[in-house]
Amino acid sequence: MAVIRMAFRYVRNEIFVLPTRVIAVLFVILLILLPLLTQDMYILRILAIAAIFSIYAASWDLLSGFVGQVSFGHALFFGVAAYTTALLNLRLGLSPVITIPLGAFAAVLVGLLVGIPCLRLKGPYLGLATLAFPIMLMGIIFVFPGFFGGELGISGITRLASSRLTEYYIAVVCMLVLCFIMWKITDSKIGIIFHAIREDEIAVRASGINTIKYKLLAFCLSGFFAGLAGGLYTHFLRIAGPSMLAVLMSFQAIIWAIFGGIVTIYGAVVGVFILYPTLEILRATAEYRMLIFALIVLLVLRVMPQGITTFTRDKLERECPRCKVRNTVTRKNCRVCSSDMR
Amino acid sequence: MKSKLFPFLVLLMILFLIGGIVGCTPTDGEDVVPPEEEEEEGVEFDGEIKIAVTGPMTNIQGEMMWWGALMAADEINAAGGVAVGDEMYSVRLIQVETDEIMDPLGAVSAVENVIVSEDPDFLIGGFRTEAVTPYTDLIARDYNKIFIICGAATNELLHGRVDVDYDAWKYLFRVTPIRSTDLVTVTILMLNDVAMAVREELGIAAPKVAILAEALEWNEALVQMAPQIFPTLGLEFVGTFRPSATASDVTTELRGIEATGAHIIYTIMSGPVGIPFGKQWGELEIPACPVGINVEAQKSGYYPATDGFGDYDCTLNTFAQNAAITEHTIPFISKFVDLYGQLPNYNADTYSAVYILKEAVERAGTIDTDSVIAELEVTDYTGAAGRVVFDEAHDVIWGPGYVTAVGIQWQDGELVAAWPLEWKPDAQNAPDLVIGYEGVVPYQIPPHVLEQWRE
Repeated sequence: MAVIRMAFRYVRNEIFVLPTRVIAVLFVILLILLPLLTQDMYILRILAIAAIFSIYAASWDLLSGFVGQVSFGHALFFGVAAYTTALLNLRLGLSPVITIPLGAFAAVLVGLLVGIPCLRLKGPYLGLATLAFPIMLMGIIFVFPGFFGGELGISGITRLASSRLTEYYIAVVCMLVLCFIMWKITDSKIGIIFHAIREDEIAVRASGINTIKYKLLAFCLSGFFAGLAGGLYTHFLRIAGPSMLAVLMSFQAIIWAIFGGIVTIYGAVVGVFILYPTLEILRATAEYRMLIFALIVLLVLRVMPQGITTFTRDKLERECPRCKVRNTVTRKNCRVCSSDMR
Repeated sequence: MKSKLFPFLVLLMILFLIGGIVGCTPTDGEDVVPPEEEEEEGVEFDGEIKIAVTGPMTNIQGEMMWWGALMAADEINAAGGVAVGDEMYSVRLIQVETDEIMDPLGAVSAVENVIVSEDPDFLIGGFRTEAVTPYTDLIARDYNKIFIICGAATNELLHGRVDVDYDAWKYLFRVTPIRSTDLVTVTILMLNDVAMAVREELGIAAPKVAILAEALEWNEALVQMAPQIFPTLGLEFVGTFRPSATASDVTTELRGIEATGAHIIYTIMSGPVGIPFGKQWGELEIPACPVGINVEAQKSGYYPATDGFGDYDCTLNTFAQNAAITEHTIPFISKFVDLYGQLPNYNADTYSAVYILKEAVERAGTIDTDSVIAELEVTDYTGAAGRVVFDEAHDVIWGPGYVTAVGIQWQDGELVAAWPLEWKPDAQNAPDLVIGYEGVVPYQIPPHVLEQWRE
């Protein structure tokens, strides 16, 4: 009884006090309860893929948004894990429970390989260098078509689960857990160092912190989460193909994350859950699909240049000028220090 | 940080916009003729057969698929529909924009959407192998629906699937094109005909052949295999040249070919590079006869696009306007050109696919999947591209008496069939068996090639 009372108090004092937290909780509840409302296979597919891509986009935000290591070739991690997962499953018959983490570890290794030569690069130079890696890997795939399947990719992979409903729940639960872990990382001591590296790397080094170690850690962590997304996607789709390494795949992560709001993690999730289904709906417009999509993104970002979540949060909530705690915009006094909010 | 990233995003958006605008442009540079949706007047049906046509509908390949299927559906409905037992059903087509050239893996979602929302009885189409592979998996293994491939040539879509695990993959068939290894065989036969012409008219006993193949993976096996085949045809291999599939200038490659002393250029090109190749080959008067695969040269806009310099280019195709492969070919092409203003390419043989489904349903007397599969397996349908019979992998059989494909050549600005004229498929065991279609004309060596080698 005491636990329930504590939980209720926590919900009342920590969630109901801020509209954005209420929206986030409602979103999670909706995702979990959605199959009670519909079990339409197509809707479950789109939402499951959106959940997987959310992990991928959030992993880009972790590296580029929080640490400032702007990657234009994030598909590398996604693709490496996808191909590793596919090969392990097809050639060794390993189950998705094993292949997906192993694929993610392969992406970590690649994260190290990419991170080391890129450490000295910054800004657009780093972006262009990272852009080159997935293109190189695609070249390797075409050089060894017998092993990597060439243009056809690798098909015949075990499906993620026996039913679409189970696949949906796996994707959604993975998304919630992994994004929560990423969010906690950014909120930890490591996250503070990540922030600091992005803002002023020289100052961080002057403080005696080994920034190389932390930047490599960021590449590995980001690669790991993107790799998990790549593995999940491969088993969901039952194919690993060269388009997983395409430039468009890398750019999509950037667009989703910036649209939702970077340096947030949850912004990437919101970006994917808005833009991915929108792109699906726009199939009805045939040749105007990408044009309309691009216009929507441009117009939204024109109005909300810091992303949809940051814009919404700033409209609904205000930061206390004294204690920096967020309050709902209607409050006259801070909910913590009672300072005047006007 | 956020403000610094905004210019990058704007740049990305501009790229997307450009991509969108490019995507809005018909690929062959001609206006797209809207399909004619005809209302059925005065005909009452007992039900309908829903056929989903899946393809990249904003590209010429998808348009051809749609137009071919639409023409067949309109004809069937106008003739009273499909007899299913004692009832008459109309054919209703559902267009599925898969966008599979831009987003091959996203195509699976588009296909699942139509299956869930429209529940089509059958599906036809499919162009890019990387897209068709996962969505055939979905269609066959998750939804147990019949899918007739009308665009992707890759062997592995059927072979190694239907013939290995029949129960899982029995739902898949292919009507067009012939599988990729057979496409190679046809181009080699065409090459042999060109080599014979070179021997006869130029007096060169062992013509030299250079390969000009776009730098894409799909033709890699062919590029490796072809030099080993050439000596068996009495040809001398002189080198391989690999321009980009999107190259706008192939002067270097053509000058290189000229320097090797090649008499024949064996082309393997599916991309836009086919147009600069045709134009520059003619402009530079490269003294070698092109033959092989040049997808751009299959289109009616090729001649004007090359300013006429692409004349005498010779390529593989499924149809040719003047070649009566069967009694249905010329009427089909004429009607297609009348309706849509373009020559049909191989994707347009969704026309045959719809008729093959109609006949299978009528024989089965039901649209039950297993019954229709049993009837599809015994298909013996003579259509515009030839006689369609399926092998054990549910693939259209290539060969004499079946679908053969044709070789076409631009001659004085006209696209004519130049193969098979007098093809002897088994000269040793059946010397009297000669395959040639009415309307096929002899291959012509380009005049500038004749002049230069006679000198």
